[in-house]
Amino acid sequence: MKNVPVSVVVGVGESAYYERGKAPLSEFQLALTAIRAACADAGLDPREIDGFVSYLDGRNDPLRLSAALGVRSLSWTSQPWGGGGNNMAAAVQLAAAAVSAGYARHVIAFRALAQGQFGRFGQSRAAGRTGGDFAYQHLYGLLSPAQECALHTRRFMHDHGISQEALCEIALTSYANAQRNPRAIRHGQPLTREAYHASRWIVEPFHLYDCCPENDGAAAILVTTPERARALRKPGVAIVAAAQGLGPAFGVAAFQGDWFPGVFYRDVAEKLWQRAGCRPADVDVLQIYENFTGPVLMALCEMGFAAPGEVEKFVADGALAGPDARLPFNTSGGNLGEAYIHGFEMVNEAVRQVRGESTCQATRKRVERSLAVAGPGYAAGSAVLFGPL
Amino acid sequence: MTRLLGDDWLLPALDARNRAWFTSGRLALQACTRCQAVQFPPEEVCRSCGSFELGERASPGTGRVESVAVVHHAVHPVLRPHVPYAVVLVSLDDAPGVRLPGNVLNRAPSEVAIGARVRVAFEELADPDTGETLKIPQWEVVA
Repeated sequence: MKNVPVSVVVGVGESAYYERGKAPLSEFQLALTAIRAACADAGLDPREIDGFVSYLDGRNDPLRLSAALGVRSLSWTSQPWGGGGNNMAAAVQLAAAAVSAGYARHVIAFRALAQGQFGRFGQSRAAGRTGGDFAYQHLYGLLSPAQECALHTRRFMHDHGISQEALCEIALTSYANAQRNPRAIRHGQPLTREAYHASRWIVEPFHLYDCCPENDGAAAILVTTPERARALRKPGVAIVAAAQGLGPAFGVAAFQGDWFPGVFYRDVAEKLWQRAGCRPADVDVLQIYENFTGPVLMALCEMGFAAPGEVEKFVADGALAGPDARLPFNTSGGNLGEAYIHGFEMVNEAVRQVRGESTCQATRKRVERSLAVAGPGYAAGSAVLFGPL
Repeated sequence: MTRLLGDDWLLPALDARNRAWFTSGRLALQACTRCQAVQFPPEEVCRSCGSFELGERASPGTGRVESVAVVHHAVHPVLRPHVPYAVVLVSLDDAPGVRLPGNVLNRAPSEVAIGARVRVAFEELADPDTGETLKIPQWEVVA
């Protein structure tokens, strides 16, 4: 069964991106900035928004947003459950579901975070005692997402003869593409192979540059139907297919049974390719959320782009870097190079590639299939494929 | 100092479901009394057959290192004096699919390899709040 596009992206927007703690605006103001920018891009009065979707327990309440934007009639609010950046594409899917079912007309999907103003992701809040599933891991000093992903990655490398260079290639690709993107926080800060290897270990096999930074900012898209898109400023970009997939909860549960080592994307891949009516080889440009570089390699395999024994060759020697690559990858610089907005900056980038508006626009052909894969390794994964309407 | 990561490092919050695991000196895995399936982490229901009747089965505690991550960046101030340290995942010979996080007590972090044979060892200490004796499962590489 192939999906017929019944929802489209008509606007993308973002705030400026900042190092953690450097944003001159509050997180709520950042959210408003991105939402207003997405509306301006679409040529839609923000008062016509009637739905909001976010993820990761977003703090920016749709009721407060509605009041601030003068929304006339709020019809839809929702968030996918659990995890973290694994839900960035699931948020787009929820927005698509709302407009295609007719429950809302103009839905904003967004993520805003100002880690300097609230708790920091990746920092342990553990102190004293931990209960539940975490009781079985925190007392061994196993606390952070980097450490959990390192255990999966180390075993994956061991099983398939993958070297540190494969991880390095992912970091180099994101950084190289960020040099083309003036929005990117790492713009003007190129990374060399030597600097990568010389950087300190965070948790083996992850060097500093294998780990995404902490940033402040917001990104948003505006989703509507193809019919309504015709009245707006730019051609709509179709949400061709989206999928959420089952995985175990994060933490100690993620190491059990057949899930290990891996990132829980086989189920997402199966649904996505079936709904999209295409295969990985048909994808023209690819964004994969890099919380850490290792899970990207596993996601490339589980989504069907490469076999585990071939994935190092697949990424070697800058094969995915730049606009002329066989498969341009993380073209805005991704979480590592552009900004860590829990992957939503990648959703914007995937849409821009279909519009031909990227700062690292794929050159080999007109982009017809632009894929964004959400955070690998945590709970339910998600992915969304965009294309021309 | 009795603990690898220091005596100031956090402890589990004991409850009815995990008390035996952290105090008995046995690897008391949760097991379904109806279908005998073993599961980790414990749950309020058997994930295999749906039963709410759950008991325990002690494992002999021999297994192998399935993965290792050497932590260099301390994510909590209390851990700073203890980096680098190695976190391992251990599979048990008698419980396929179960992988237990832990540390290896008798090897330096750089000397812990995937595939190493290990057996359970317990860090024994008095609970600083209750005085109860805690026996925390850890691992030793078997030569």
